[in-house]
Amino acid sequence: MERAEIEQALIEIVRNEKKLPDDTLAPDTALADAGIDSLDALSILFAIEERFRISIPDDRARAMKTFGDMIAIVEELTGAAPA
Amino acid sequence: MTRSDSPAEDERRQSSAAKPSADACEPTQRRVAARVAVTGYGIVSCFGRGKAAALDAIRNARSGVRTITSIDSSSLACRIAGEVPQDAHEGLHRGYDRFTRFALIAADEAMEQSRFSTTDPTRFGSIIGTGLGGCETQDASYRRLYKDDQSRLPPTAIAHSMYNAAASAVATKNQARGASYAVVSACASSAHAIGQAFHAIRSGSLDAALAGGADAPLTYSIIRAWESMRVLAIDNENPAAACRPFSNDRKGLVLAEGAAVFLLESFESAIARGADILGEIVGFGITSDAGHVTDPSADGASRAMQMALDDGGLTIDDIDYINAHGTGTRANDSTETAAIKNVFGERADAIPVSSTKSLHGHAMGASGAIEIAVSLAAIAEGLVPPTINLTDPDPACDLDYVPNAARSVQVRTFLSNSFGFGGMNGVVAIRAGRGN
Repeated sequence: MERAEIEQALIEIVRNEKKLPDDTLAPDTALADAGIDSLDALSILFAIEERFRISIPDDRARAMKTFGDMIAIVEELTGAAPA
Repeated sequence: MTRSDSPAEDERRQSSAAKPSADACEPTQRRVAARVAVTGYGIVSCFGRGKAAALDAIRNARSGVRTITSIDSSSLACRIAGEVPQDAHEGLHRGYDRFTRFALIAADEAMEQSRFSTTDPTRFGSIIGTGLGGCETQDASYRRLYKDDQSRLPPTAIAHSMYNAAASAVATKNQARGASYAVVSACASSAHAIGQAFHAIRSGSLDAALAGGADAPLTYSIIRAWESMRVLAIDNENPAAACRPFSNDRKGLVLAEGAAVFLLESFESAIARGADILGEIVGFGITSDAGHVTDPSADGASRAMQMALDDGGLTIDDIDYINAHGTGTRANDSTETAAIKNVFGERADAIPVSSTKSLHGHAMGASGAIEIAVSLAAIAEGLVPPTINLTDPDPACDLDYVPNAARSVQVRTFLSNSFGFGGMNGVVAIRAGRGN
């Protein structure tokens, strides 16, 4: 899966869980600054795991601070990018 | 232990007492309220969203029981219920379990009508009864684990299914920062919630509360569980005729869902801000049968009614109407009739008694609140609600059940009965309108 496809899918997942203004999701967007609280983040992680059929380890989940981190982790775990 | 063994600890305590932190709590101001007013209420039920829809159905003796469409009911033996129509809740308060969404919808209507705005959020509470909590979330979770063979659940499963989810959401939405909790006592849950809120305001521990109940039990597993108790009225071809309280040809109870929430506040506060006083909670009775888990006792029910009268300083002559628990099961109808006679003696024959469950089914923990709401709405129009489908009076049930049509009666004070599984009883005494 291409990075652009992953990014688009992640935007859909995040927007499905949380209403955000259209321009708030850039790779350097801090998830906390976008109004995503801890329970939102858990729901987003769950939806990502379901969508991409991956399992995100707890330590990797905790390290996911920005939208860019999210893309990178999914790329890595789906084999779209080298670890 | 009254003193510390450690001087250092004592010193630390004294130091902290002498220098309170910046966010130290203010002493609680206790304002005892002689009377507790209803200044707003909301309802979502099988009649739709809002009091007007419920009143229209009650006035026209029109049942809201219908074929279940919110889940695939095709394989169920019982495919009817007092289901909230989709257009009554669609798009509102998404992201919560169904029962919490109903509570939020009802609380919105109560807040809007009351125009209440708290001056002290720490003395504003949210007390919401529920019998079964987040059934939709639990059912989806079990289906996923056991049927779909998935090993993981959404991380919101606990937060959405917990019994206090509705009380919490209502508190958060309306910034109620005082006593807020769920009351869980099966079908008496919302009567108990309203009673608890009433006593909290009267005793001065709260100034105001959103109080009521919510339940959404129309899931595959809950309906299957009720089917196995063999108490459901199964009349899939004629849903409106299924619930027949006090009628010899009764078939059992009809499950339902929904919510009703009341804005309760002290009379003093209501008058000071010029609010319309729609009613007054005047008494509350709460008892336990401590007997059989499902067979009701006339003693427990009688004591609850008497306690509600005594709590409100009322006599049997003050009561002009009784909204019965009236489930439409043989055990309830005859026991409740006997209990009313125990308390009211000969006067029982002169009091209209009706079961609005005949129209909206049994919304479990929400039922008491829904029944008080529809009664208040009807009484404000000079009506008492009917018991529909009462075509063949049961000889064991010989009171005036207001059969089949709403009746013009001026009601000043009424009782609302709720008797839950587990032998838990709640009776609320309500004065309609402004009182004196």
